[in-house]
Amino acid sequence: MTADAPRRLLLGPQRPAPYLREALEAAEIEARSFAVISAGWQEAESDIDIIRDAVGRPVADLELYRRAETLFAEVPKMGEAYRERQARLKEQQRLYRSRLKQLAIAARNVTRENAHPALVDAELRHAITQLRALDRHHLRATERLHAAVGPEWQHARNRPWRRHHDEIAARIEAHDAVIVTGGNLPVLLNRLRLFGLADLLADRTVIGWSAGAMALAHHVVLYHDHMPHGRREPEVLGAGCGLIQRFVVLPDPVHRLRRNRPGRLGLLARRMSPQRCLTLDHGEYACFAGEQLVAAHKARHIDRKGRHVRLRPS
Amino acid sequence: MNPDLRKLLRKRALDDAAVDAFLAAHRFPLVDEESVTFVYRGEADAIYLHIWISGLDTAQPFQALGKAGLWAATIDLPKGSRIEYKLEVERNGQRELIVDPLNPVLAHDPFGANSVCQGWGYERPDWTLENKESRRGRLETLPVRSRAFGEIRAVDVYLPANYRDNRPLHLLMVHDGGEYRHFAALQTVLDNLVHRLEIPPMLVAMTQSPDRLNEYAGNDRHADFLAGDLLPALQARYPLLDAPEHRGLMGASFGGVASLHAAWRHPGLWGRLLLQSGSFAFSDIGRHRRGPVFDPVVKFMNAFREAPGRPAERMYLSCGIYESLIYENRSLLPRLQDQGIDVTLEEVRDAHNWENWRDRLRNGLSWLFPGPQWIVYE
Repeated sequence: MTADAPRRLLLGPQRPAPYLREALEAAEIEARSFAVISAGWQEAESDIDIIRDAVGRPVADLELYRRAETLFAEVPKMGEAYRERQARLKEQQRLYRSRLKQLAIAARNVTRENAHPALVDAELRHAITQLRALDRHHLRATERLHAAVGPEWQHARNRPWRRHHDEIAARIEAHDAVIVTGGNLPVLLNRLRLFGLADLLADRTVIGWSAGAMALAHHVVLYHDHMPHGRREPEVLGAGCGLIQRFVVLPDPVHRLRRNRPGRLGLLARRMSPQRCLTLDHGEYACFAGEQLVAAHKARHIDRKGRHVRLRPS
Repeated sequence: MNPDLRKLLRKRALDDAAVDAFLAAHRFPLVDEESVTFVYRGEADAIYLHIWISGLDTAQPFQALGKAGLWAATIDLPKGSRIEYKLEVERNGQRELIVDPLNPVLAHDPFGANSVCQGWGYERPDWTLENKESRRGRLETLPVRSRAFGEIRAVDVYLPANYRDNRPLHLLMVHDGGEYRHFAALQTVLDNLVHRLEIPPMLVAMTQSPDRLNEYAGNDRHADFLAGDLLPALQARYPLLDAPEHRGLMGASFGGVASLHAAWRHPGLWGRLLLQSGSFAFSDIGRHRRGPVFDPVVKFMNAFREAPGRPAERMYLSCGIYESLIYENRSLLPRLQDQGIDVTLEEVRDAHNWENWRDRLRNGLSWLFPGPQWIVYE
């Protein structure tokens, strides 16, 4: 079953130098050509020469960013509805953030209490349960916002949408694998969802780096511990493509995570459970056949004590 | 006095070789947790330490240590401080201001160079240093026909590394742009902060005035030049986001006054202000004592304090607590807050100099123009 399952290769940042080709070779992913999703680069979407140079194979741009702009111009009411939905999603994110902050502070305060360890542990478990409940609630709320708009426009009777969708499907079919680049995560997720990429990619070999890797997971978590004006709590942004169900992907931890704070990291790991927090720095990768980890290089996950544990194929 | 120096002085046979070895083994000035000891070696009638810290004597005498031509002066200096100084050497009735021969760390400004004392715990921020991973933006010069001044003004324009004609950018206009580039590493800072996603890619117009003490002192023609000449020229040439929250003004000292005045004269145009050690002199009663060059500044600031309006939606102020202007900057803060402006004042243990302003750029720029680092994963 594993041998036939589609491969998903997850990578960290491709800066300062791309290591895409080395990872493809090491993970034994053979492809004569690649379709590319670089919608996260927005206006620079078409600048895919760097990928062609990196893989040494032909690449074709799926142009999701440009297609969305074109589609919204072709069907103005659709564009209006999606812009409205984006505004609601931002409001929902803000409301969630406001509640999350208080719950996260409460959880951290519990860990600092001078009380019997068993009591602290019980209260911490409950605090984490509350955090997880809020995350789940937020995921459901964002899905409801998507569901209120998507089905109305993303169907065969909407001819412009269908034309783009079918062209994308045909291009994906014409190539052996699909590369999803890093970039602006909300924009990338938005375009993936708009054109139904989760279904189109389900049985394909997919390679994703940074935002591209995050978007392949069940859901997506934003995080950065080194913001200029103080850290923020890691927050769920929404659902991903769901091609990787058991991991939340955290790229570039060397720059984004305070790795010397095991308490904070352990809290994140417990909050995200049953998904595991997979960290991917430059040069690292994890390769899955379906849900089965089949190869990994230096990739780690964070355990419930906040330790970085090397990921090993079983 | 620094304990190592005290130990050296206790030696009975303190010869040139011992002093040479001591000087070679230490960095100067000698920095301790709460104080700093300046050392000079050489023949002189007197040595003075010149520091520009408001509240302290400008010239503080060194003590002749009586051995091997050594002199020293110790001052209290709180952790995290950074000060600039010079030594005044008096010989045969002649006085000469020099940089500290024992200290290679210098700060440059339009008037030359000063020695720099980095107090306990101060570190130059890494984002002010060139980073080979940061892609570099480029500069080009835009000639701007100015109706306000009746002449053509050349403005240097910084374009970020990933500049594209189809991607609209934020706009920041910087007063004393040349000084910011040369003495506050502005271009390096922009490259680094954009690379780190701490600010969005932005277009930065660096203006330079041939008569800054006049044009920056609350001068209507200067404000009209920015709003009526430079802004339209930039909009015609480059893709710019078209809303006040995407447009900002920045300046230090008189440049801070010019920024505030320009936004006050054209309310609703500039949504963001970054004002460093602004020379916001005012008089509550009677005449001010800062000299005639401040007359127009005081006139403007008095009018501004009377009716501040809402010159911008968000403002970042910074000021060194070792400069006298801290009083004016602190007193401006509540006036701005009262107008509902989202404003912050960062006070730092530094003085009125370009490296102070350099070290605040990350906080100021990212406060006014938050970057996409939370949502972009490259």
